[in-house]
Amino acid sequence: MRRYVARRAAALVATLVFVSALVFVVVRVLPGDPAAIIMGTEGSPEATARLREAMGLNRPLPVQYVEWLAGALRGDLGRSIQYDLPVGSLIVTRLPVTLPLALLAAVFMVAAAVPLGIYAATHHRRAGDYAAMILSQVGISVPQFWSGLLLILFFSVQLGWVRAGGFDGWSSGPGPALRALLLPAVALGLFQAAVLVRATRSAVLDVLREDYVRTARAKGLSEGRVVGLHTFRNALIPVVTVAGIQLGQLMAGAIVLESVFALPGLGRLALGAIGARDLPVVQGVALFVASSIVFINFAVDLAYGWLDPRIRYE
Amino acid sequence: MRGRGLTVALGIALALAGLAAEATAQAPARLTVQSQTEPPGLDMTATPATATSGIVFYNVQESLVKVDRHGKLVPSLAERWHTADNRNYTFFLKRGVRFHNGREMKAADVKYCFERALNPETKHPYAKDYEAIGDIIVKDEYTVTFALKTVNANFLQNVARAGAAIYPREAVDTMKSHPVGTGPFRFEEWVRGDRVVLVRNPEYHVTGLPKLDRVTFRFVTDPNAVLAALKAGDVDASLFGLGPEHVQDLQKDPRFQVITGDTTNDVILSMNNSRKPYTDVRVRRAMTDGINKADVLKGAMFGMGKILGTNVDPLNPYYVDMSKAMPYDPARAKKLLAEAGYPNGFDTVLKVTPQYDYTVRSGQVIADSLKKVGVNVKIEQIEWGQWLSRVFREADYDLTIIGHAEAWDIKNYANPKYYFRYDSPKFQALFAKSEVTVDDKARREVYVEMQKVLVDEAPVVWLFMHPRLAVAKKGLNGLWKDLPASVNDLSEVSWAPAK
Repeated sequence: MRRYVARRAAALVATLVFVSALVFVVVRVLPGDPAAIIMGTEGSPEATARLREAMGLNRPLPVQYVEWLAGALRGDLGRSIQYDLPVGSLIVTRLPVTLPLALLAAVFMVAAAVPLGIYAATHHRRAGDYAAMILSQVGISVPQFWSGLLLILFFSVQLGWVRAGGFDGWSSGPGPALRALLLPAVALGLFQAAVLVRATRSAVLDVLREDYVRTARAKGLSEGRVVGLHTFRNALIPVVTVAGIQLGQLMAGAIVLESVFALPGLGRLALGAIGARDLPVVQGVALFVASSIVFINFAVDLAYGWLDPRIRYE
Repeated sequence: MRGRGLTVALGIALALAGLAAEATAQAPARLTVQSQTEPPGLDMTATPATATSGIVFYNVQESLVKVDRHGKLVPSLAERWHTADNRNYTFFLKRGVRFHNGREMKAADVKYCFERALNPETKHPYAKDYEAIGDIIVKDEYTVTFALKTVNANFLQNVARAGAAIYPREAVDTMKSHPVGTGPFRFEEWVRGDRVVLVRNPEYHVTGLPKLDRVTFRFVTDPNAVLAALKAGDVDASLFGLGPEHVQDLQKDPRFQVITGDTTNDVILSMNNSRKPYTDVRVRRAMTDGINKADVLKGAMFGMGKILGTNVDPLNPYYVDMSKAMPYDPARAKKLLAEAGYPNGFDTVLKVTPQYDYTVRSGQVIADSLKKVGVNVKIEQIEWGQWLSRVFREADYDLTIIGHAEAWDIKNYANPKYYFRYDSPKFQALFAKSEVTVDDKARREVYVEMQKVLVDEAPVVWLFMHPRLAVAKKGLNGLWKDLPASVNDLSEVSWAPAK
């Protein structure tokens, strides 16, 4: 177990270094000069050149990379060009939006998808199964920004139950904050739930065909016990694998939905930073999201052993 | 028992009535405005971004002279000014004007702000506008004289620009995140990525203003999200960012008022004058002849806005309607192209940026229009950051479309390094003359002459004036109809009393 963790940790560091280099190079290869963007169409070339120099963009790339990486190792991700604030603190201020949003979406995803997937599997090739599959097909086909807009039109504009967007923070209590995150979380979780329904259904179907399930039924166990006790736990490995990957995708999907719902989260920070060529912020957010995904995968790997004691880490 | 119930009920009713009365008597006047882009900092002496001046200028910080809603220069922090020779301008400051930190504004502050703008180390974006200033003399606490090195006919205009805002020197280091000024609103907070909040300045130097207690600028980028936020009542007004397609829908909605007016934003099709075939004036004229501007305005703006013939916008006092000087004439365009050696037309690339929808839509109509005279336009969409560095800075383009929002920007045609790469000694000489001609009538004549030269030499194709398209809830009064300056002056904005 210890060796396994050490191996995974080494792989984790290697992944992060690779990601950091990739992100660093990509944002610099992009055409577009941060100084020119800040100065816009009204800045003179001289003023732009002075700003470029002051921003340290004239130094050689490898020097900039090494300095940035050394800083990142000390926990210093640099300063935002746009906001003139430390990137680390900017990320931290955005987390109270994006993390609860992704978690809420994950809760919605699991709560909607797992029961529906089990239901579809246990009603294989019957009306309920087909209905669940059509629903899932619709969920996969509708783009997130579109389902977000539809939800806004119905729940905010027509019914007036929740706000159409924006987020005032957690200071006014969890009630208003959760209400502000509810619609985007549903829109975000919808697509992932649709995928997870299919994964759950096929995993449960596979297990239902196993001999031990037939044995359990032959023993005279109720269908509820057969599915709940003998089938579901054994079907969980592929379900957890898919759900783990999706958790990472939820963080990435937040980029689009945070714009539609005008939420001041990590995704919008990244999007704004890309537009403004705020390179330290783009790098910082990309590194943060990549690390989160790597950690989630790590947690999923560890969960296998708990779900299936036959899995060994040596 | 029954009596006690009645007492409780009465008590509750009284308390509720009291609350209601309090609510109507002291309901704070709040306004939430949608803002399309988040500003890259709130220091107008560090960035020329309109997202910054759109929040800060006239609301938080002010200048000696102000451009009012009719485009007139009116007193602001200076109650009057005087010049005898157009070289020495003396400003008499309003007394008792306090910065938001409580200190009184005095002549030394004015001197400090202009000297800082001129200091190359401060990276002030508009330093060029003030380089005519030779000396700034503080006569007394409330009188300051600017001695110019040369006559500068635009001097007062420049003193009214965002780059000439007056702020206290002790706030310089924190202005990027916390602007301090003399304006009708004090800065309260900036929640990065979400909003900027301003609150009423109770010590504002104009009595009776401002009328709002609290203004929130909320950053919503996506036009569909803006529409939803308006309809759901989350924002009260959108001052910039909605397109004509959205506005038409809102015009039918009885809850909203749509404000359309003139602006200083000239949308132009630029040609790279240093690149073939646009080095030839006949080709440039053929481009103007070959584009049906009425169709462009219809296709891009649903007919809202005004067709332009030259670079002086309708709000400028020297505006001359040149829109009919070179009418749509595809036959003449073909003839000119043949004379220039392109009887079969040519292929060219038009770079537009989807950040501004109207550029893409105008491009499509233009490509169609020019095809009829043999010019094959390939449209290339590039992102705003790329546009700024490749087109605007490096002039790596054939054709491009963008709106030029700055007032008095005819000066760009006198700068051969500007991305038009238009180098006309004739125009440059006229412009230099206009800068030193102070007499209004004579200056107007020079401006008319300049506009004629532009039409004649056709360095770009002037398409249309982008209209102001603002939407607000009914009952919100005092917003500017026209925009003679790129500002959102909210000092006189108020809610109509509820009926």
